[in-house]
Amino acid sequence: MKGAAGMAAALAMPSIVTAQGSKRYDGKTVRLLTWSDDTGLAVLNHIAKPFEEATGAKVIADRTGSTSEMVAKLRAAGDRPQYDVITLAGVGGVTLAADGLLAKPDLNQLPNLEQVDPQFRTGADGHGIGYLLWTGGMIYNTRTFSEPPVSYAQLWDESVQSRLFLPPATWTDALDTVFATSKMLGGDGRDAEAAFEKLAQLRDRLLTFGENPTQLVELFRSNALDIGGVYAPAFFARELANPEQSNMGATYDLEEGFFADLMYTIMPKSHPGDDDVVHAFINYTLDAGVQGVMAEAVLNGPVNTQAVMSEAARSSPFIIKPEQLSDKAVVHDKDFIASVREDWIKRYTQTLS
Amino acid sequence: MSRVGLMPEEGGGSYKLLVCLLAGIGIIIAAAPMAIIVIMSFSAAETSSFPPSEFSLRWYETALTLFSSDESSGSQAVGAALSSSLLVGLVVMVLSVAACIPLAYALVRGQRRLRQSMELLFTLPLVFPLVMLGIAFLLIAESLRWELGIWRLIIPHLALVMPFVLRNCMSAMQSISRETEEAAISLGASPLRAGLDIVVPLMKPGILAGLIFAFIISFNEFTITFFMYTIDQSTLPIWMYSRTVSSLDPSTLALSVFIILIDLVMIIAIDKIIAGRSSLF
Amino acid sequence: MSVSAHEGRPRVLPLPRRGIRVNALYRRSAPWLLCLPALLLITPFLAACLYMLRFSVSADTGAIDGFSLQAYVELAQPYFLRSVWLTLKLAATSTMIVLVLAIPLAIMIVTTRSASWRRVLTVVVLLPMILNLLIQSYGWILLLGPAGAINTALTQLGIIERPLILLFNEKGVLLGLVQTSLPLAVFPLMSAMRVVSQEYLEAASGLGASQWRSFADITLPLLKPGLISAGSIVFAFNASAFAVPLLLGGRRVRMLGLAIRDMISPLFNWSGAAAGGMVLILIITLVLVFSTWLVSRSSVRGVS
Repeated sequence: MKGAAGMAAALAMPSIVTAQGSKRYDGKTVRLLTWSDDTGLAVLNHIAKPFEEATGAKVIADRTGSTSEMVAKLRAAGDRPQYDVITLAGVGGVTLAADGLLAKPDLNQLPNLEQVDPQFRTGADGHGIGYLLWTGGMIYNTRTFSEPPVSYAQLWDESVQSRLFLPPATWTDALDTVFATSKMLGGDGRDAEAAFEKLAQLRDRLLTFGENPTQLVELFRSNALDIGGVYAPAFFARELANPEQSNMGATYDLEEGFFADLMYTIMPKSHPGDDDVVHAFINYTLDAGVQGVMAEAVLNGPVNTQAVMSEAARSSPFIIKPEQLSDKAVVHDKDFIASVREDWIKRYTQTLS
Repeated sequence: MSRVGLMPEEGGGSYKLLVCLLAGIGIIIAAAPMAIIVIMSFSAAETSSFPPSEFSLRWYETALTLFSSDESSGSQAVGAALSSSLLVGLVVMVLSVAACIPLAYALVRGQRRLRQSMELLFTLPLVFPLVMLGIAFLLIAESLRWELGIWRLIIPHLALVMPFVLRNCMSAMQSISRETEEAAISLGASPLRAGLDIVVPLMKPGILAGLIFAFIISFNEFTITFFMYTIDQSTLPIWMYSRTVSSLDPSTLALSVFIILIDLVMIIAIDKIIAGRSSLF
Repeated sequence: MSVSAHEGRPRVLPLPRRGIRVNALYRRSAPWLLCLPALLLITPFLAACLYMLRFSVSADTGAIDGFSLQAYVELAQPYFLRSVWLTLKLAATSTMIVLVLAIPLAIMIVTTRSASWRRVLTVVVLLPMILNLLIQSYGWILLLGPAGAINTALTQLGIIERPLILLFNEKGVLLGLVQTSLPLAVFPLMSAMRVVSQEYLEAASGLGASQWRSFADITLPLLKPGLISAGSIVFAFNASAFAVPLLLGGRRVRMLGLAIRDMISPLFNWSGAAAGGMVLILIITLVLVFSTWLVSRSSVRGVS
């Protein structure tokens, strides 16, 4: 049985269900680690559940944590990971790959990769498979702003004093914020000195850090927040669709640009489940239909160029498609980010709290 | 002139006024968030604006369906999380109390120095930085490479409940006079029998309070469990966290009210058992 | 067979050689043997403490390897020292507030005649400590948030123009600390109150002492050991707080617990976190030992 399934996977058959109608991965388990926020919930509903139905495999999901908590957990577990597959932000994949904790997926078992934009297929030295694009811009209050803000400089405006939020230091978006500040001051984004000096002015004007998107939703709904960034619209798919009630709007159309980060699915070394079903799962995340549904659900950019999306999603300003990544999109050099990460996180915290 | 007291029945003037005022502030600080959660859980609206304009039981219905319909997806299943929470709580409560009874006996009957140092030692878990403890337990558990199963959660919980259980057992033990034991021994009982047949039954209120206390603490523990849980062994607070962190829909509030009720029943039970004769800490 | 506590203790006649017999019981069962099960259960906790101590002097920040004091040296930065100062300040302030609120609360609970009212008060005081703080934080936001019930009411009454920022700063954290640690002070004080017998107070009242005088001269001194130990526990509990500053501080109030977590992730500086943890533990242990010494000194003086 196991041999047969392995052979079938090796043949990389495009359809998942076998001819007999019995499901191919009956009795097999995939242990998935994903985010605790709404994006993780979407993974569960739009990837894990249909995958279970299509293949008969069982997906056990753990969705408690942020990318850095995932990295901490995997590091602590060392060579005895409890997960088969993990979705996480780009920098997390790079870190874990550098630690030597990741296995390289066999690209031959991922036929859907062919439909993926070549620049987003793999990363982290071949250990990460492109998943979706995480995009960050500014979130604003539609009651206060009749027109979306056009520059990050808006954060320093007198009128939004005590009504603004910034991303927490623990998130990659905080590094983006430093980058954006530097660009706003005319730098190339890497001039941290000047950026932190400018950010220091926000210390006493800040209402909160956006550690918890649900708290932010509540604060926007009650009209206590005006603006914040760099932050991902991904958390607010429901609210952005209904600005009358939520007061929330989002924009990428900023002078300094917006931020895009390729997220990965990764597979730890010596993971507990069978390789073939894990590959099938990763392949499934790249399916044109799945990518379209996910893009619509959490406003992430699809990496599959043929992603099947509704008309509304295709025209949605909140979902960045690969072809829209013009020069306005800042895609970090991950090595540079890895080199400044610790220092920037510390200084960001020190400057603002 | 009126008679004085801790809380004079009549009169008392500015003293009584101030006591009532401060106690009132304390009660408000303690109860306000819970009161709001309870009220919101009966809201009929989709959003969480306060105060709600209409009331209904709809979120309770949604919360109930969570228990019946959640079929698969491991740590998403609230039923599995609830049952492991209960299992951990039960084991923790039995073991901690069984260990604290002899300890309380030894400390109350023993030398003052032993008592002071042991009390200090068993207070430490209460005041330890839990985050640090969580990562330390996690690293130890991972480096030992043992298949701990549910004991991954039980072992750290045991340390956390000990301060509370010990205090309860000790205050119960303090009220037992030496003469009682002596009588039993003089009637021919062995020291062990005297302990089991005379002392333990007399400690009953403290023991029961300790049992329930251990269960409450374990049942609600979050921080260490957050580090120690695995995909197969998770608890209700972890499940609640992964649910509330993403979206605050009122069905979570309804579920919180359900947890508040469980805790409430247990606290009232403790209070009934010790009925003002002993203290909770 | 079993003698219930409710029926009162059986009175027994003084027996010959009683001291010897009880001592025999105590000695034969050996105090350490009685302590053994509990010590066994707390061993993993002690192991975790030692593990942290070892990690804090590791040369590698991500694993135990070699010896170095680097992690401690690195703590001597404003980044960390500010957290230490903030932690001490907030823990001390919250302890003061808690004690001021806990004494009247304990008085009220102890003197409440009706059992059901006493139970309600007990539940109200105890629940905040054990209930999921994430949920409670939403409750606080709905009440105290910039657009919460209080700010809305004050604005509508025309008392304020801009909403008061009551959360996401030190005030919010202080409130949360007071709320969650209140039971740790109220319940020990309740048992200390029972020592303050009505007879003492009646004697004072017979001597013509006023309510305030008898409180200051009789109740407070008798409560002193209880106050010291309750205060030290509250201080220690709040100094190691993590969830409260995380959820009610808007991440802007970096108490030590939070600083330590930031070192674990996202900075992955585990030896630094361990060193920070050891500093925190040292502070807490010093406070506890000092208060134990204070209590034993005051009780020795009380006897003599």
